[in-house]
Amino acid sequence: MQTLTLAAALAAGTVLSAGAASAANICFAFQDLETEFWVAGHQAITTALQEGGHTVIERNANEDANRQLEQVRDCIAQGVDGIIIIPQDGESAATIVNEAQNADVPIAVFNRPPSDLSKGIIVVADNATIAEQAVDFALTKAIERAGGEPVQPLILVGDLGDPNAVGRRAGFNAAVEKHGDAVATPIEVASNWDAATALSNLEAAVTANPNIDMLFTSSDFLFPTIRSVLEPRGMWKAAGEEGHVVMAGLDGDATACSLIKEGYVDATGVQDLYFEADAALEALLAAMEAGEAQPNQVIEDPGFALTTDNIGEREMDMWGCVLLAEGFLNK
Amino acid sequence: MTWMTPLDFAVRYTAVLILALIVVIFGIVAPAFLAPGSLMSTLKAASFIGIAAVGMVFVLLTAGIDLSVGSAMYLAPVIAGIAMQRLGIDVAPALLLCLLVGAAIGLVNAILIVRLRIVPFIATLAMLFLVRGLGIWSTGSRQIDFPASMRAFGQSALFGIPMPVIAFAIVAAAAHIVLAHTAFGRHIYAFGNDAEAARKAGLPVRRMQAAVYVICSTCAALAGFVLISQIGRIDAGFGEGREFDVITAAVLGGASLFGGIGSAVSAVLGAVTVQAVKAGLVYAGVNLYLQPIVQGAIIFLAVFLDGLRAIRMEKQARRSIRPLA
Repeated sequence: MQTLTLAAALAAGTVLSAGAASAANICFAFQDLETEFWVAGHQAITTALQEGGHTVIERNANEDANRQLEQVRDCIAQGVDGIIIIPQDGESAATIVNEAQNADVPIAVFNRPPSDLSKGIIVVADNATIAEQAVDFALTKAIERAGGEPVQPLILVGDLGDPNAVGRRAGFNAAVEKHGDAVATPIEVASNWDAATALSNLEAAVTANPNIDMLFTSSDFLFPTIRSVLEPRGMWKAAGEEGHVVMAGLDGDATACSLIKEGYVDATGVQDLYFEADAALEALLAAMEAGEAQPNQVIEDPGFALTTDNIGEREMDMWGCVLLAEGFLNK
Repeated sequence: MTWMTPLDFAVRYTAVLILALIVVIFGIVAPAFLAPGSLMSTLKAASFIGIAAVGMVFVLLTAGIDLSVGSAMYLAPVIAGIAMQRLGIDVAPALLLCLLVGAAIGLVNAILIVRLRIVPFIATLAMLFLVRGLGIWSTGSRQIDFPASMRAFGQSALFGIPMPVIAFAIVAAAAHIVLAHTAFGRHIYAFGNDAEAARKAGLPVRRMQAAVYVICSTCAALAGFVLISQIGRIDAGFGEGREFDVITAAVLGGASLFGGIGSAVSAVLGAVTVQAVKAGLVYAGVNLYLQPIVQGAIIFLAVFLDGLRAIRMEKQARRSIRPLA
């Protein structure tokens, strides 16, 4: 498991800022740690809690929303002081927040928003805005290259049951609309956040439409899958090479950082993971300190787009570049 | 020479006709779907589920079920990937190691089911979690990146036929020979049709029942390896929920969940049908929200028609035992 030096440093800052809070029992219930993002998020939160002297009860629901609800009930029965969850989906998140609040236990929801935003401490990335920034940059590049011809974009959509995927799709569409007639109707391809599904659907989509100018993946973890489809067709080219497909993603993982540096990817929308972990803990500890049992607050992560233009200045603001610098992809 | 009536023909070849109908409909809606490159791409995509479905047919023929295939698809390539990374082994030994891990998973399934007499559904469900847990634990939830030689293998082709399709064809042909032309194959059908009668007839039912779970998990491991060799990276979520796709493909092709009915060809047909529907929806540009609905409806219709076929064939079989007029 990688060490998140920066995360730990930031998290230590969090704990210091909430230093007045006495050691507490915190239940951290998460769904499966399937991608770098969730691994890094999990690490940031647990490191921060432990370094703050808090006792952490960790529960992994293995992508089962009902199991997560049972785990949270179990935590409540154990008398925890606060709960942080990474839920499976928006609906189950709302149910779990209600459960905690009915038992007068403060709860914070990390990164995956509940369907009802009015209850609980909700730390959420503004997926639509982040996606729009990355896609806007990529489309601008693609339009410059197209020389007056309409640009053909393609989007790999995530699981449409996940609000993050819906937000990212909305951001993509907003950027497309912004460029009007310079952009053709986008090709939408379902990935369901699954590499095998993305592989087969993208293969079909690219076979049917070989003239794609710009590709946006709703999650960076699909870049290796995209490479496996584009490479045999001679479409996996770095910027500056003939046949380069302008590409953008979202998350800000180590692979995306590496691919931006190599020139294959042009931009990625970055969720500011450290800000999100920091904000969730700070709000939860503050509520506990104030004796507030049902804190309600939405904390939005504005994120940013790391691009080939600004990577020189903003590289170390992206969690994936921090992991990359720590040798994450070589471990 | 006696000719089949059109109805008899339709009854006998329902699965083929359904596939043909799907291809024709999507070909009309999106002509690019029928281009040779598109059909090969569909076949290539079908190979992943298809290889595992061929293995699943062996289990289904014995009236068993294997819910651990998705986890086997994950763990076996993970172990192979770790060995490639740390020991520097090449693709061929990695493939062998992957198959051995798959066989080992199948062997544990077999011990639980045959030796400890645990119901297959429960035994393999437990293995689903156990095997995935082992994979997550061994990787620390992190992805495994394979060396470039792995992708070179996954993207290779022979006479223009992609490697995944070749692997699928070899597995399907081998399974067909085993099921249709060997004593072992006949024993499987006999056991699936009447387990007690097979036992009384002195067939080695325990050994045979164990073997089908080993075959099934080995096929799942191979399926995972074949897909991952194309991507070059395996993530912690890989293979999750795939057991349902594999069972759907096998059943759609005509295999019965109650045992005794099915073949390697049926698994191939089922996997290709499922993939043809998925690819067809992409070619036709169907709204993403509608895709799962249309996909579910088509698969339901296919299974429904196959159900009608089974009823009719049963009636015909009953008629055939009466003396001819």
